[in-house]
Amino acid sequence: MRQSRFIKGLAAKSLIAGIAGLGAVALAGTAAAEDFALGSHVPLTGKLARVGTGMHEGIAVAVALANERYAGRHSFSVETIDDETSPAKAVAAVEKLAADEVVAFTGGYGSNIIGPASEAAAKADKVYITSGGVAPGLTERGMTGFFRINNSAGYGKAMVGLFDEMGVEKVAILFSNKEATSGMAKYVEKHLEEAGVEVTMHEFDGSTTDFKPIMNNVKLRDRPDAVAMIGYENDYVGILRAGTVLKPDVKAMVGVWSLATSQMNEEFHDLVQNVYGTSLLPYPVEFQGEEAQAFAAKYEELHGQKPDYLGQFGYVQTTLLVDAIVRAFEDDQKIEAGEIAEELRAVEADTLIGDVVFDEKGDNPSFSHRMGQHRGDRVEIVWPKKAQTAEMNFPAVPW
Amino acid sequence: MVELTLQALFSGLLAGGTYATLALGLALVFGTMRIINLAHGELVLLAAYVAFEMERSAGLNPLASIPVALVVVGLTALAIYLAVSRIRTDRELNSLLLTFGVAIVLTNLILIVWSADIRSTSSGWFLEGFVIADTLFSMRSEVVFFGVGLALIAATWWWLNHSWLGRALRAVSSNRDAALLMGVNPALVEGLSFVVSGVLATFSGIAIYCATVVFPALGHNLTIKAFVITVLAGMGSVPGVLIGAILIGMGESLTATFAKPSLQELTAMVVFLLILFLRPRGLFGRR
Amino acid sequence: MRAAPRTPLVLAVLLLAYVAVPLAFGGQDYVMSLIIAALTIGGIAVAWALLGNLGGLVSFGHAAFFGVGAYVSALLTLDAGWPVLPAMLAGGLGAAVASVATLPALRLRGPYFALAILAYAHIFKILAVEFESVTGGAGGLLSIPGFPTVLGLELGSKVGAYCLILTIVLAWMAVYAAIRGSTWGLALRAMHDSELATRVVGVPSTHLKALMLLVSAFMTGVIGAFNAHQISFLDPDYAFSGEWTVLPIAAAIFGGYRTVWGPVIGALAVYLVDQLVFKELMPSGHQLIFGLLLGAMILWSPQGLLPLISRLGLRSGEGGDKEGKPGARA
Repeated sequence: MRQSRFIKGLAAKSLIAGIAGLGAVALAGTAAAEDFALGSHVPLTGKLARVGTGMHEGIAVAVALANERYAGRHSFSVETIDDETSPAKAVAAVEKLAADEVVAFTGGYGSNIIGPASEAAAKADKVYITSGGVAPGLTERGMTGFFRINNSAGYGKAMVGLFDEMGVEKVAILFSNKEATSGMAKYVEKHLEEAGVEVTMHEFDGSTTDFKPIMNNVKLRDRPDAVAMIGYENDYVGILRAGTVLKPDVKAMVGVWSLATSQMNEEFHDLVQNVYGTSLLPYPVEFQGEEAQAFAAKYEELHGQKPDYLGQFGYVQTTLLVDAIVRAFEDDQKIEAGEIAEELRAVEADTLIGDVVFDEKGDNPSFSHRMGQHRGDRVEIVWPKKAQTAEMNFPAVPW
Repeated sequence: MVELTLQALFSGLLAGGTYATLALGLALVFGTMRIINLAHGELVLLAAYVAFEMERSAGLNPLASIPVALVVVGLTALAIYLAVSRIRTDRELNSLLLTFGVAIVLTNLILIVWSADIRSTSSGWFLEGFVIADTLFSMRSEVVFFGVGLALIAATWWWLNHSWLGRALRAVSSNRDAALLMGVNPALVEGLSFVVSGVLATFSGIAIYCATVVFPALGHNLTIKAFVITVLAGMGSVPGVLIGAILIGMGESLTATFAKPSLQELTAMVVFLLILFLRPRGLFGRR
Repeated sequence: MRAAPRTPLVLAVLLLAYVAVPLAFGGQDYVMSLIIAALTIGGIAVAWALLGNLGGLVSFGHAAFFGVGAYVSALLTLDAGWPVLPAMLAGGLGAAVASVATLPALRLRGPYFALAILAYAHIFKILAVEFESVTGGAGGLLSIPGFPTVLGLELGSKVGAYCLILTIVLAWMAVYAAIRGSTWGLALRAMHDSELATRVVGVPSTHLKALMLLVSAFMTGVIGAFNAHQISFLDPDYAFSGEWTVLPIAAAIFGGYRTVWGPVIGALAVYLVDQLVFKELMPSGHQLIFGLLLGAMILWSPQGLLPLISRLGLRSGEGGDKEGKPGARA
């Protein structure tokens, strides 16, 4: 018995404590409530700590701006739990936050973590919105409260579209054997082959540091027009360094996420010159429109650095959620079951990440990424044409 | 085909040099104290982050930050030794767990202090190509630290075999009590072996920082690689470390070139198991 | 003499575990989730301790057996339409079969064995990535069926899953205790002290060790299968993650791996205190405290929590027979 009371005491204590630093405000009753607490689980430690932290920062900006936007009417807070890149801990986090009566969930990184975590949210009858998992299977589970603003098709379309515009005939794909990267590699392979492009595939292990043997194969055997890199920051650095040394005769080096970013431009400046990657906005960011400028200013104020794409996604998903909560609440001063999901499904928004319109599965089919290219101290948007800030520099490689 | 093979062997050789430097410190402590320091990868990582911090805040070349890194990592290694030396029972297993705890602490400290971002040197000199006869390609940092690694291995080997302290170390490792009778203070000598292993870890960390990228979760991978090579080499054999490391390096690069890059880890593990089964005490194991 | 005074204690613990815990926390999903996760670690810890204590083999690769069990069970339910509970047993068998491949490692000693098993875990993981047509590759398996309803008990619910894992873990503890108390266990423990001595008296040590390895792998495989159906998702990185090796070892050591209760109590203590207390104090990077505590434990009470509790208990003059039950060590 002693042990059981011990645990119970702990549980009660942990129930009370807020984490976000914004002062978690419990949602007391429904009718008179003007304070909304959001729940969030993101990996702040473990393998996905880097990307999780990025999203986390964007969420904090969205909440801060929502408090300004709805000042005097409503206030918002977010209670965040580090899921430590573990599905079991993410599920426990969602359950704990649900017990704390958060209104809905924003966050999650990694499809294998989002899967079980969003199921726990559904069990608690709460909406779950994310941008951290692109696996197609996530929106095929028949869940009504699950939303995501991006998907692998959006990334793939951008990459394939860029290759199409380059008019390349042969592409070598180097990809990490992780869940998101191998899924993306297969998408790109399929669509390039359909477009009549010859493709060679090189799957590498996530722990690879020396890419010279692979790059030498690309250089001597494949002789492609362009190299597609589907991995993470450390992989890109390794591949590009191998390329700089071996200097294969290719016309373009193209990556996906985490590459055409301000951080990569600053920290690996020479290495990434002329390299392409998905990017929503040019850098230095020319934020157009009030919202975008407010976002960038608040981001710098809170986190002391320029926003990156992870922050943008985290911001957009959370802002959509906040606005949906307010609409659901303001019609009759209370939130009925399923009302937030209904409001989200009715969204037709032009956001920092482009158009967002959810289908009945909660996916955003209109999501299409843009491709940026590192140019000197800048990242220019070069694809699609309508979003261009500069013509692409092609053929061109870092070396 | 010839070009591909040559490049694969060359890449593997250089990678082997890095691996050898990485494993040597672990092998030394294992050889002298029968202790596997599971925080060894984190010590290596710590050196890399010291170099990063010096480069970021003071604009120092990674090589210039070696003295600072030596002090930081050497003291950390000494602290680990002081903790390990307090273990009284079942030292083999308990030291594993203790150093594992230290590894967790170090990983999380690094994460808190330097965040989860990837880091690497911004000094362009190290990343310039170094090309032999237009067929063998490498980065300067790889060649430089291959040389450094060989020198460290030679120095360690000489030190163990020819210096008084080195001999004392070997005496303690083979018979602690007898060494004590002969006027060798085992605690001092063992502490020294930890500090030397910290020195070796420092060079390894700087080498990794200059050639590849580091991030907080990397330490665990480094420990495992060092561990594999140490066992492959055989109990505390210094030449074995070099040969085992080159074997693993070449095996990986040949797999990446001619089979499938994602299988290179498999090759390393299979080579490791085969050698272990055929020669249970490693390539150069004694006793 | 030995069994008699323990019976009431065992009954009390069973009552507490099956009745009091669900009553107290059944409404709090997240507490139940944490307890389930802690018991999952505890189950592996028991299997690990069995091999470590009786086989004298310290494994660094129990993730290998966990992952194989998880995959076998998940695939049998997804592709072959097996019901979940038999598939979980098959998962255990699969892990035992996989452990046959690791038998050559038995001739290795100490850290060599530990590392060889770790290498197997790596190899199994790579195979799971490469055999994409069977395992789904790096993308993994989504929507693995959950637990059925048996005799009116909804195993798919939090309380149901808790009862299931509790039963499995208790069963493994019983197996551990039974083997330990048998003549085999005696021989095995004698072997731990002196392999030569047991060989002289004619105990086929390698066969016994092999048997322990198979049993331990089977246990771990069933736990892995449980986790796959509970989380309903599997990918190679997750199934063969080092966490499944490291946490159980820490738990077993914490609780004291030479005892039957130690590993499970260690797992509950380590996991729950880490998640409920340390995480509260330090939302990010709280594992740091865990690492410090692990180190401190090794230095000041290397035999684990139970002896520590009993020592403290003795010091306060109460005697150590409350919940610690150090008698289990004897």
